[in-house]
Amino acid sequence: MRKVYLDADSLDLTLVPTRPEYEFVFIQTEGRCTANIKLKPFADTKFKIKIYIYAEGDSEVDCVCTLDIPKDIGGVETDIQIRSWPFDKSKIKARPEMFIKNSNVIATHGNALGTLKTEDKYYLASKGITDYKELVKQSLLNA
Amino acid sequence: MLTIKNLSASIGDKQILNNINIELPFGECLLVTGQNGAGKSTLLHAIMGRPDITVIGEINLVSEELHKLECHERSQSGVFMVHQSPPTIDGVNTMSLFKEIQKVQNVAGSTGDLIKLSKSLFNWIGLPEGWEKRQFNLGASGGERKKNEIIQAVYLKNKTRVLLLDEPDSGLEQSSRQKIIDLIQETKNLNGCVLLVTHDKELQELYGANKLDLSNA
Repeated sequence: MRKVYLDADSLDLTLVPTRPEYEFVFIQTEGRCTANIKLKPFADTKFKIKIYIYAEGDSEVDCVCTLDIPKDIGGVETDIQIRSWPFDKSKIKARPEMFIKNSNVIATHGNALGTLKTEDKYYLASKGITDYKELVKQSLLNA
Repeated sequence: MLTIKNLSASIGDKQILNNINIELPFGECLLVTGQNGAGKSTLLHAIMGRPDITVIGEINLVSEELHKLECHERSQSGVFMVHQSPPTIDGVNTMSLFKEIQKVQNVAGSTGDLIKLSKSLFNWIGLPEGWEKRQFNLGASGGERKKNEIIQAVYLKNKTRVLLLDEPDSGLEQSSRQKIIDLIQETKNLNGCVLLVTHDKELQELYGANKLDLSNA
C-alpha cells in the first residue's frame, strides 16, 4: 500500500498492519508537517514500512514512526526504513521509535539521508539534466 | 565534423593525455585503442565535459566550441555518452529519469508516448518487466546498467551528433553485440559520428579501419 501526502499539515495515524508492505511519501513544498505513525501489529505478522520524505524551500517535516508491541504480542517481524531528501533551506526531523516488550520479535530499522554524489551529478549532467531536486520529487510522486 | 585540436587532459596533478588531434567527419566511427590507463575513457569524458578533468585545447563540433560549454550543455548540443560504469541514482526511478531526458532534450511526444516507447525498448533489449518503476540502476547487474545506457542512446539517436561509447559491450551477453553494431550504423546513417572504446575483438576488427592508438599519448 502506498500513500502520498502533498503539503500536509499533520497526520496522526494508528496502523494495524495486515499487508506485507506500506509506503508513506511526504512531499512538502511549503509550511510545516507533523506526522505521527503508530504501528500496533497483531501477533505473528510480518510487514515492512518505508517512509520517504522530500522537503524544499523553507518547509519542515517532523515525522515519528512508533512501533508499539506489548508483552502478549509475539512473532512480529518488521523493518522500518526512513529516507529523507531535504533541499534548499528545508528541515526534516525523522525517527523510528520502538517500544517492544515481547522477546519473540524481530524489528530492524534504518534512517538515512538521500545523497547525490559528484559522479552521479556528472552522470545526470551528461544526459543534460541539472535539476536533481525535481527528478527526486517526480520520482516520489510517480513511483 | 568533430575537431579536436592540441587536446591535453589531466586529473589533479596527473596528466593523462597530451596533444591529441582528431578530425572525425559525420557519418564515421573512430576506434580508440591503447593499453589500460592510456586515457581512452579520459578522452571520452574530456569530450563530454567531466568537471574534474582539466582540459587544454579545443573541442569543436562544426563551429560550436564544445570546450567552452558545461557538461549538460554539451549533452543538449548532441553529445551522448554510453558510460562504462553507470551509477545508481538515489531516489530516482527509471521512468522519471527518462521523462526528464525527454524534457531537457526537447524530444517530441506525450508522456504516454514515452511510456509506451520505453516499455517496448526495455522489452526489445531484454530488461525485465516493471523495469521503469525501479530505482535507477538499483540492484542492476553490469549488463543491465549497460542496456539502460544503450536504450537511452537509441531513444536519442535522432538528436545525437557525437556518440561516445565507453566499452558498450562489457557485461553484455553476446547476442546484444548486434544491437551496438546497429546503433553505431544508425548514428552514422543519421549523420552523427561515433567514438568507440572497446576490448571486444570482433568490434575492434569491424571498426579497426579508422583507429586512434593512445598508447603513446
